[in-house]
Amino acid sequence: MDFYLNLINTIGIHTMLGLSAYLLLQTGQLSLAQAGFFAVGSYTAAILTVIFQWNIIPSVLAAMLVSGFLAFLVGFPALRVKGLMLVVATIAFSEFVRMFFYNLKWRVTRNGEEIGPDGTMGFAEIRYFSDNGWSNLEVTFFLWAFVILIMGFIWWSDQSRTGAVLRAVGEDELAASSVGINLTVVKVSAMTAGGFIAGLSGGLYAHQVTSLDHHSFTVLLGTFAIAYPILGGLSNVFGTLVAVIFIQGLLVEGLRFIGDWRMILFGILIVLAMNFKPLGLFDKQTMDIIKKAVRV
Amino acid sequence: MLKIKSISKHFGGVKALNDLNLEVEEGEIFGVIGPNGSGKSTLINVICGVFLPTKGDVIFEGQILSEKPTHLRLKRGVARTFQNIRLFSNLTVWQNLWVARNSVEDIKSESSFYRWFSMSSIVKKEIEKMLEFSNLENRADELASSLAFGEQRRLELARAVATKPRLLLLDEPAAGMNKDEIRDLDTRIRSMQKQGITIILIEHVMELVMGITDRIAVLNFGSKIAEGNPQEIQNNMAVQEAYLGYSEDD
Amino acid sequence: MEDFLYEAVEIIQTIWDGILFGSTYALIGIGFTLIFGAMGKLNMAYAAAAIAGAYVGLAVSMFFDAPIIMVFAVSATFSTFMGYLVYQSCFRFIPTNNHLAALMASVGGLFLIDEIIVHTTLGSPMNFPALFEDAYFEIGPFGIRGDLLFVFFIGIVSTVLLLYVLYKTRLGMATRAVAQQDVAAQLCGINIHRTNSITFSIAGFLGGIAGAMTAAAVGILSPVMTVPLTIKGLIVTVIGGLGSIPGAIIAGLFVGAFENFFLYIRGIDERDMYVVGLLFIFLIFRPNGIFSKTINRD
Repeated sequence: MDFYLNLINTIGIHTMLGLSAYLLLQTGQLSLAQAGFFAVGSYTAAILTVIFQWNIIPSVLAAMLVSGFLAFLVGFPALRVKGLMLVVATIAFSEFVRMFFYNLKWRVTRNGEEIGPDGTMGFAEIRYFSDNGWSNLEVTFFLWAFVILIMGFIWWSDQSRTGAVLRAVGEDELAASSVGINLTVVKVSAMTAGGFIAGLSGGLYAHQVTSLDHHSFTVLLGTFAIAYPILGGLSNVFGTLVAVIFIQGLLVEGLRFIGDWRMILFGILIVLAMNFKPLGLFDKQTMDIIKKAVRV
Repeated sequence: MLKIKSISKHFGGVKALNDLNLEVEEGEIFGVIGPNGSGKSTLINVICGVFLPTKGDVIFEGQILSEKPTHLRLKRGVARTFQNIRLFSNLTVWQNLWVARNSVEDIKSESSFYRWFSMSSIVKKEIEKMLEFSNLENRADELASSLAFGEQRRLELARAVATKPRLLLLDEPAAGMNKDEIRDLDTRIRSMQKQGITIILIEHVMELVMGITDRIAVLNFGSKIAEGNPQEIQNNMAVQEAYLGYSEDD
Repeated sequence: MEDFLYEAVEIIQTIWDGILFGSTYALIGIGFTLIFGAMGKLNMAYAAAAIAGAYVGLAVSMFFDAPIIMVFAVSATFSTFMGYLVYQSCFRFIPTNNHLAALMASVGGLFLIDEIIVHTTLGSPMNFPALFEDAYFEIGPFGIRGDLLFVFFIGIVSTVLLLYVLYKTRLGMATRAVAQQDVAAQLCGINIHRTNSITFSIAGFLGGIAGAMTAAAVGILSPVMTVPLTIKGLIVTVIGGLGSIPGAIIAGLFVGAFENFFLYIRGIDERDMYVVGLLFIFLIFRPNGIFSKTINRD
């Protein structure tokens, strides 16, 4: 049972991570910075509950605000860096954040034991949930409440003018500007929103896994973050969810019996998917087929 | 309404616009013609803020337009269409029009939140009006990329009009159109004029330009070589020379 | 005073060693920049293919007890082939304007290559033979490591070869034509897919040499080298200017020196943060890199 709850939690966290990249990808900004914002959210929330003994909800919300603010700051210089250079810049940003936390040492002694981030040794003992008697099921519900909230928000965005504006900017900045869209506002807002969401999911992640380590926040995580919405397609929130379930559920966990070869399968699948469905698994074509099938 | 005052635009050594002076009156349909490379597209880009002029000013309704981002010019009331259609192909017809309603200030009763996350009945009505204007009522939920060429042109026009501009720049809207489509375009442009929009028409298709404009300016190598009403322009020797090989049914 | 002089010598020595090592980054940077120049895309699998080449070179030399120069040759050959493969699987069939899909596909390629390496070598690092590792020249208080010098020398030879191919052969001219204006090139009868696959192969060749160079200079070959090499390669490419070969060379040498300098004064944990910081400084002040491509294609 615990195994499945863990899997469900991971799916939830990764869905939020993917959705944080979703908005950015819609505006055409290829950002691998999500891993960095995720890391900031994780450490912020964990430091607040562990060192400052805050309650989980304000901690996670604070993590969201800190990451969001950082994303806001990143959003402006990101405007100056076009296209694929943004990929490199955001990879570099995420790496910088990772190395920063790799070197962060903030130890505090409480009740005779040392707690807090310990530089290269990582940050263990993030025991808020267990210390406060949360059951695993309660943790899952708590986490998913946020996931559903975020999914709802983005679904709403997609249905409203916001979604159309984001995608207009992503498709053709000149045309968008010519019909009155303020590119700076849109792009920086997308980056900020992405930061909020990534920070939120990071804060939840830290408490779910109870220990942080710089290996969790590598460029790989950043590429997963954009892989989910790219595979799932940028016109549908559920596409990202399905992509996460598929990748995490099927490949990472489900194919354990294949053993270590599943990562190779994963690589092959991505390459194949991009060749056959470059607009994502849930592009308009697929959606039309699904809609027709459901009607029948 | 619009004054082009001694505008020059240089790209490195190329003088795309050379000390150009134009004045467009409110409510008129003003044509700009000239051979390829004469600076017509550059002129639109300078008026819309895609480029800033190297020298000179663009004066709109008495004020100098100096902001660079194009969306700010739109706020002032200057809109444009594109020579090669730039619709949002992955958005539906409805969404293309909806997006264009972004910055129109005339809806005082709507709060920002409403404008971004919801759709008031006012906006709905406006978009439906635009759908009617472009004869695309039954295509509202289709992707812009799935429209026929003529339909795409109509949508592009409607999208520009949806922003409620006071000045509209049309960049070769008749390119690639057959005679029926040109007649249709003629009607549309006239109805826009009746709605109070001043129009600058950049065009190669002479039957449209000569038939619909109040005045025409002729550009060559970035300078104005002639200006006048269609009749005067047609009889102007300099113009015919510039077009070298131009004949009346071009 | 003596201490200061000693420090000064050490620092100059470090910088010098860094420049020599930087030739590996320069080659990787050239590879990335070639591909970017030709297709406007980043091949994220590039450095992984380079390391894979080094592995194959190592394997061959172990099996056949061949001279070390063979390692480089085999490595380059295998990576050339890898380059071709990566082009066919990750770039050939994806529409040109879809940058996301090509990026993700090459990331998938990166995962794939990484995992295959981990599988076949069971994840443990392997020793890589260094040529001339016993050679050590002294010029006054400074020493020049023979193995680094050799690596640098190979870098120079490779670059000269590349420039010869690019500027003195028809193949190279076709590559440059496609890089500048792909539509016009097609209209002139150049087969874009063939040219691009050759560009990828050439880049692969350089990559294989760079991979072997890196392994030779460090003395070890390990799958964990792929991601850092990718990142440093990308940083070098961006600093040098996307699409510029001289930029990649200068940036590569500079980053090598810069990195080694900070290794010396701040240690390995913080070293990479400074390299990233260098990138940010460039992005703020010279976002197009040292030499930016001036020709715009549509």
